[in-house]
Amino acid sequence: MAEPSHIPHEFTACPDCDLLLQTAQSDHTLEGRCPRCKAVLWHAAKHTDTVSFAAAISGLILFYPAMTLPILKLKMVGQHGSNSLLGGIYRMWLEQEQILAVLIMLCSLLAPLLHLLLTAVVCFSVRFNHYPRHFPLWIKYKCLMQNWNMLEVYAMGVIVAYVKMMHDGEVTVSAGTYCLSALLLCVILCSQYFHEEQAWQHWEKNKPA
Amino acid sequence: MSISAQQRGIARCTECGKLSHLPELGHDATAACPRCNTALNFRKPQSLQRSWAYTIAATALMIPANILPILTVISFGQGDPDTIMSGVVKLWVADLQAIAVIVFIASIAVPVLKLVILVILMLVVQCQLPLSRQQCTILYRFIHFIGRWSMLDLFMISILVTLVHLGNIATVESGPAATAFAAVVVLTLFAANSFDPRLIWDLDND
Ligand SMILES: [Zn+2]
Ligand SMILES: [Zn+2]
Repeated sequence: MAEPSHIPHEFTACPDCDLLLQTAQSDHTLEGRCPRCKAVLWHAAKHTDTVSFAAAISGLILFYPAMTLPILKLKMVGQHGSNSLLGGIYRMWLEQEQILAVLIMLCSLLAPLLHLLLTAVVCFSVRFNHYPRHFPLWIKYKCLMQNWNMLEVYAMGVIVAYVKMMHDGEVTVSAGTYCLSALLLCVILCSQYFHEEQAWQHWEKNKPA
Repeated sequence: MSISAQQRGIARCTECGKLSHLPELGHDATAACPRCNTALNFRKPQSLQRSWAYTIAATALMIPANILPILTVISFGQGDPDTIMSGVVKLWVADLQAIAVIVFIASIAVPVLKLVILVILMLVVQCQLPLSRQQCTILYRFIHFIGRWSMLDLFMISILVTLVHLGNIATVESGPAATAFAAVVVLTLFAANSFDPRLIWDLDND
């Protein structure tokens, strides 16, 4: 069997239009696109998964401070208020908005955490050629969590809330914002540099019979 | 002449992208991907029925989400409930036009556009409307890309409720529309995920 690559062996089908395509002579340094509907079939291989592994580990280190440190601080008529990501979820739960609290927890806490954790596990397995028993499930859940990871939308929410409160009181950016920005950068690097096809081919080549 | 994988009897795994020959299956038989063990199908099963169901449910919930108050700012004991639209208007009047536009796009334009585009795509497939396949695919990718940004309003509510929690001076409370709006967002995400864009291109293959 050929060496694992980020490009499918021999043939692939476009996920958006089902066009059958030959990949045999494809240039590995270029992005692959469907000639009919222009869907991105694979990204150019600039780096190996080292970048996404490093980003996942950095993200996991940053995770706890980003969730618990205050993001914004508000001063209004001598009173102080502040919020953290975790605090926001807890407050929604207390205000009898349990459904909302669970949804916000899924998109801004659980999915980012599992996305980073599963990426780290998958990269680690591929690197050290040691595959846990349910490896395909790990990759599948990683993709699912990546879809539900909405940290970038949360970051935009922080900006909107900041501007909205600006003329009502004195709003200041706090330590949590810096941690959250760094965490967001890690999440973006983590998904940009991960080659799923390569992980799948590694598994296919080495899976226990 | 472009040949689709299905015409060659080849199915693409939705999870790992591996191609496999899929033989004609009996009524209750199923096939699994040899690489990742996901159920194999040529197209997403019951794609249109599921998309229609989610789209209709989301459209119905758009009504309470837009009529009921989503956020109430209580300052010095005075409550002032806001619907999504009145919140946008207030931001605009308060000279925060950029933020008003962002909130309008995320909370009103994106959900409405998503539902309209989904209905157009499903009608294209069902009634075989002669729209450009290429443009329909771009619309499909567009709703996939923008869908998640509707969560913006919900995140903002969670931030404001915690940040502005100053006892008698000012508090922010979420309203019943927030849950309805959350349901709209999740249902439109499901609707977009159930729709199979390959059905659009299949119209050319017959
Ligand atoms: Zn295509
Ligand atoms: Zn598969």
